[in-house]
Amino acid sequence: MINFKVNGIEISAKKGESILDAARRHGIYIPTMCYLPKTTPNASCRMCSVEVEGQDGFVLSCNTPPVEGIEVTTDSETLYKERQNIMKMYNVNHPLQCGVCDKSGECELQNKTLEFEVDEQTFAVRDQYRKKKKWGVQTYDPSLCIMCEKCTAVCNEVVGSSALFIKPGGYKSEIDINLADCISCGECVSVCPVGAMASTDFKYTANAWELKRVPSSCAHCSSACSLYYESKHTANSNREYDAKIYRVTNDADFTSLCGAGRYGFDFENRVQTKDEEAFALALDKFAQAKNVVFTSQITNEELYLLKKLQEKFGFNLVNEEARAFQNFMKNFASTAGETLYNATLKDIAQSDFIVTVGASISRDNPMIRFNISQAVKHNKAYVATIHPIVDGEIKKLVTQYIKNEVGSEEAALAMLADTFVEDKSSQKEFFESIDLGYLSGESNISEEEIALLKHFSSRKKSRVLVIGEDVINHPQAANIAKIVGFLQKSGAFKVVINPTNTNTLGVCLISNLDEAEEGFTIGYNTKADFTLSAKGDGDLDMPALNQQEGTFVNIDKDLVTLNAGVVYKGYELNDIANALLGLRAQSVIEYTHQLGFKDIKFDELVDGVLNPAGEIVRGYKIESQPVKTQASIDEVAELGEYNGSVIYSVNPINQFNQFTKDSEHLGAKTELVGSLQFAIAAKISSGDDVKFSINGTTYLRHFRVDRKLTGTIAFNPSFDQDNKSANYRYNQVKIEVTNE
Amino acid sequence: MSKVYFSTWNGEFINNIGKPQEEWEESAYNLPATYDDNRDSKAFIGWDGVALFNEDVDVIRLAMEYAAQYQEYSEACGRCAPGRWGGRILYDLLDKIARGEGSIADFDHLKEIAKSMQVSSKCEIGKTVPNPILDLMTHFEELFMECIDEQKPSKHYNEEVSYIAKITAPCTDACPAHVDIPGYIEGVRDLNFEESLKATRQTMPLAHVCGRVCPHPCEDACRRTNLDEPISIMELKRLGADYETDHGLGFLHPGKGKKKKPIGKKVAVIGAGPAGLTTAYYLALDGIDVDVYEELPVLGGEVAVGVPEYRMPWAKYEQDIAAVKDLGVNFILNHRVTADEMREFEKTYDAIMIASGTRISKKVRCENERPEIQGYWGAIDFLDWINLYEKFDIKTPKEVQEQQMLPTDHVDLTGKTVACVGGGFTSMDVVRCSIRAGAKKVIMLYRRDEKTIIRNTTYEEYHEAVEEGVEFMFHSAVAKMNDENDVLKSLDVDKFELVPDPDGGRPQLVKIEGATETIEVDYLIPAVSQSADLDFIPQEWELEMTSWATLKTNGKDYMTSRKGVFASGDCEYGPMTIVNAVGQAKRGASVISRYVQTGEITLTDDEIMEDHLRKIKVYDKKEKITGWLAGVPRQKSEVLDVNIRKYNNDEVNFGFTQEQAISEAERCMRCYYIAMVAN
Repeated sequence: MINFKVNGIEISAKKGESILDAARRHGIYIPTMCYLPKTTPNASCRMCSVEVEGQDGFVLSCNTPPVEGIEVTTDSETLYKERQNIMKMYNVNHPLQCGVCDKSGECELQNKTLEFEVDEQTFAVRDQYRKKKKWGVQTYDPSLCIMCEKCTAVCNEVVGSSALFIKPGGYKSEIDINLADCISCGECVSVCPVGAMASTDFKYTANAWELKRVPSSCAHCSSACSLYYESKHTANSNREYDAKIYRVTNDADFTSLCGAGRYGFDFENRVQTKDEEAFALALDKFAQAKNVVFTSQITNEELYLLKKLQEKFGFNLVNEEARAFQNFMKNFASTAGETLYNATLKDIAQSDFIVTVGASISRDNPMIRFNISQAVKHNKAYVATIHPIVDGEIKKLVTQYIKNEVGSEEAALAMLADTFVEDKSSQKEFFESIDLGYLSGESNISEEEIALLKHFSSRKKSRVLVIGEDVINHPQAANIAKIVGFLQKSGAFKVVINPTNTNTLGVCLISNLDEAEEGFTIGYNTKADFTLSAKGDGDLDMPALNQQEGTFVNIDKDLVTLNAGVVYKGYELNDIANALLGLRAQSVIEYTHQLGFKDIKFDELVDGVLNPAGEIVRGYKIESQPVKTQASIDEVAELGEYNGSVIYSVNPINQFNQFTKDSEHLGAKTELVGSLQFAIAAKISSGDDVKFSINGTTYLRHFRVDRKLTGTIAFNPSFDQDNKSANYRYNQVKIEVTNE
Repeated sequence: MSKVYFSTWNGEFINNIGKPQEEWEESAYNLPATYDDNRDSKAFIGWDGVALFNEDVDVIRLAMEYAAQYQEYSEACGRCAPGRWGGRILYDLLDKIARGEGSIADFDHLKEIAKSMQVSSKCEIGKTVPNPILDLMTHFEELFMECIDEQKPSKHYNEEVSYIAKITAPCTDACPAHVDIPGYIEGVRDLNFEESLKATRQTMPLAHVCGRVCPHPCEDACRRTNLDEPISIMELKRLGADYETDHGLGFLHPGKGKKKKPIGKKVAVIGAGPAGLTTAYYLALDGIDVDVYEELPVLGGEVAVGVPEYRMPWAKYEQDIAAVKDLGVNFILNHRVTADEMREFEKTYDAIMIASGTRISKKVRCENERPEIQGYWGAIDFLDWINLYEKFDIKTPKEVQEQQMLPTDHVDLTGKTVACVGGGFTSMDVVRCSIRAGAKKVIMLYRRDEKTIIRNTTYEEYHEAVEEGVEFMFHSAVAKMNDENDVLKSLDVDKFELVPDPDGGRPQLVKIEGATETIEVDYLIPAVSQSADLDFIPQEWELEMTSWATLKTNGKDYMTSRKGVFASGDCEYGPMTIVNAVGQAKRGASVISRYVQTGEITLTDDEIMEDHLRKIKVYDKKEKITGWLAGVPRQKSEVLDVNIRKYNNDEVNFGFTQEQAISEAERCMRCYYIAMVAN
């Protein structure tokens, strides 16, 4: 702790904290234009200059740590004058088009221009032609740009793609992009203080002050990021529905979103009336259902009601994707000695040694990627990915690609355990059964690769293991989970297991899941004999996740809240439950405190960024429970054969599910993308229409060769299926060409 | 020292306006009144003031052109509000006045903006550009007013005048390779390590090496020293280099870095050390075919076989060398060129670069110093065998084993006592390698004191050696080697003391009579200095030599007294630093590249300016620093535990953690300056 004074007030700074951060934490205001708390300071605006007693000139507060005993003044006549001069400069040639600028009303340049009373412009310079650019989801107008460098900083540090860069050159300096590296996440748009980096689709559709802002959680993956749905009443003359969501924003100073979260918001069910007939039919169907199948894109409260209905009607509650995860967690707990994994996304960002197994980092859960990026940039983290596919997308993040044979994840984890676990005594038999040479042969991971990994871990202070979907749905998942559990217990790694769908973890914690039986099946957001659908394409409409209140349990084990971004007018599950169970709840959130976690009512939950110092609270943390018994890990099973044309089920970046699929703002390509070797092996060529089956589902796809892919592999998207598969993501297939 | 018409350089004020030229006063500084052999300068303008060398200079245009150069030329900028907008305003308003369209209000706004830039800009370039402009506006106000009042262009506004500008920084100026230090530090601060590395590589292909073992003369010229402590400049260089290898990014050539098409010219380079590699690198980039002849079985010169693995891991150096290979340079290893070959080379190649280093260990000059005594082992040869084994698995041959009394096929000193005479980096390498080779006792004999040895090497180097168990005997020199049947047994060591000069001069080392002691040793390793081994140069070429018996050049174009034969690195300068070799070789390669095409020896404007600025000296240790908080501590990287490192060759310095690196980078004050000459 460093103690010093700001404006006469004694405050203290933590190690590594700047004068600005410490002041803000103590509620002291210092103006900035370019400061973005989640990235390292750019020091471009010079607005945060302060005076230090006994020191000539100004000191920049954003990137200067305080020295014990200094006395800082954050506001004085000279400082005001200087800041005013900076604002004058910023306003030189800034186009006076606030009337049509998207940013107007929430623009930092407007705010600070007013704050520093720059009400006339006494000088100008010869301006130059600056061309507007359209870069996919974002549009860049260099004449509005103040070169604060926030966009390049997030692109580099948070996203880790470094697509945006600065083209220096005096007054000509501007931002440019390597479009091929851009993952269309819109982080740059979210941090732009002016109207320079704008959302292409949002542009010219609404003014900031017209939008109604509702905080919620993203519905697309297990990160369930904190966001705001911003809606506006439409001028639709037919008055078909009142409002629609115009954009999604976030507390961009402190939190992040991926492209799906930011742009895939238009999935609300636009039903206009309550269909009484269908509702009556639904009530009947529940009474006769043998199974209710549902997806993990569901709130805890909805599931709670399904469970209540199950208690009465005795149907099976079926969700294969979540059941696989539930089994994985049970086996994990049997060796971990506790029910839950012990790391969070923040732990990833703060670690300096990260190993991922069976995860497609660039595609599965964008926040895992974002946090790895921060670990790499801020902690020089060593990142090793154990995966059969070398993912070029994350080349700048990965230190060591460890390419394993398809199917050999169990062997890989056994090698990892053998190398990193120090006290092996409690799983003696398992460790004695390990023959590194044999496992190395099976997995095609050389002992040298693992030795190198070990070598580079030696000085690292915080090691995190990230477990992905490949192993959760692996034929050997049960034993893999036990190895992972033991890796956590032994302290070799902190562990994060990526839940396979948005609320998979919540689903697993709330309800036991059954296997389906022959008989009448109701589908909740998945097609069945009778379908309740938030997509509006079933037998009875249900609200989508941006139209509901409720909670999820996210990857961080936080119980996070959803609020309705837009109104839904049809029947809800709550209506069904009320009718069938004689309940009287007005809304599902009346059950939030009964979920079996903490006895806290929905309205009392705090979720989001709390203050200017960036303190974030997301509901509350679900505590891991101790597990007494200890299971033993089995010997590594022999490896199955995966030869020939292997297809990997993985979605393109920013696509996750049937709700993102139909988003107007996200391009949805459902093609099969393969390497050249794959094309040769499968005897198909780029442009062919092909047909193949995976676990009973038949796919008709357009095929395209991607020359950046290596290995005999193709990527088959699954976001256009109405539920997530619980099968191993790699499959050998026979491919037919169906060209007309 | 030159006569000037007017000067405000570095706080001086010389005003000869109206005086006849004979009565002009001289400036106290080495200002570039003469630009090069053919041209005089009209004016010099820079961060610290302005000097006019004749009366006819159009000062308004000079101010405008200086602001223009800042706008156009200074690629580093446009990254802070005062610099980006302020710089443009300066240029535009000055131009407006100069072309005869200005107003009094413009003149006032200029002053206001200039003041703002001085206090608020991100780098020194933005803070200092207004300095000479304000000087001119103050001292020649009536000329400005004339243009404004009469709405007429300034006196030479429409004439052709050449303005040559150059960006520098105190650290960049002090670096023999003129590395863009603020640039690569900014890359670290931006967490953009690729950009950091590219900034380094513009003038320093050996980024991995100079991020680890450079004696960093730049840090002696770091302006931050005026405030608290210098930036840890060298260690920050390593971040970008390590990022490249950590992420398997191949070799990041700076900028486009693309090799030009072959131009059908060929150059022979003698020696594959830092100077040879650098020469080859830059020539190859220019499309010149290069053959590099190396006597040793490995590439890299002294950095490979002299600098130990624990200081300079081969895997990292190899990455630097890979860059040169990447450009298609042809290496001929295990080949010591002969005089006959050199004669032949002169005919078959368009130019020759001699970069053969200094690989003969000098004697300690003591009694009975006979090379045939077993246990007398030159530092260069000693380190060769250690490094060839540790880095390349090349075993020590039988005859060396026998001569040096080695029990095995590598240097194993178990149970032996080693004495080294030296005081520089080479001697540090010798003693620390001896510890790692298992010596029972290792003694460093040094004529002067602890302070001097630290100054000659580094604080870290000395303390790490002490920690590892090296015994330092200061104020000591070997007087005599004692042998039995040509096997070294002991040394007679004289002791000295520093006696202050009664006249106030430098203290003298005086031998203490009767204090001589005898120490038992198995080895005496002289590491006092090295000399160049230039036998292979044909005698009849009669190359001019320095008094140090190295090849003589003018220190600007690096051509020897024989046309087409160039020299760089230690064989030119004498045993010096890696960065010095790189800097010389880079300049040499640039000259060669033009020479092979035109037959003429020329320097570019950039190089001429570089030399001028070096003469003026960019760093001013007396300058008072404003706008920065003093007392933010310099970061220190962690090192391998002494009890581990004593027994292996693992790299001792772990380098900065990211947190340390960012914190250190944020201490950098970005002291870019721009200087301009009007011809």
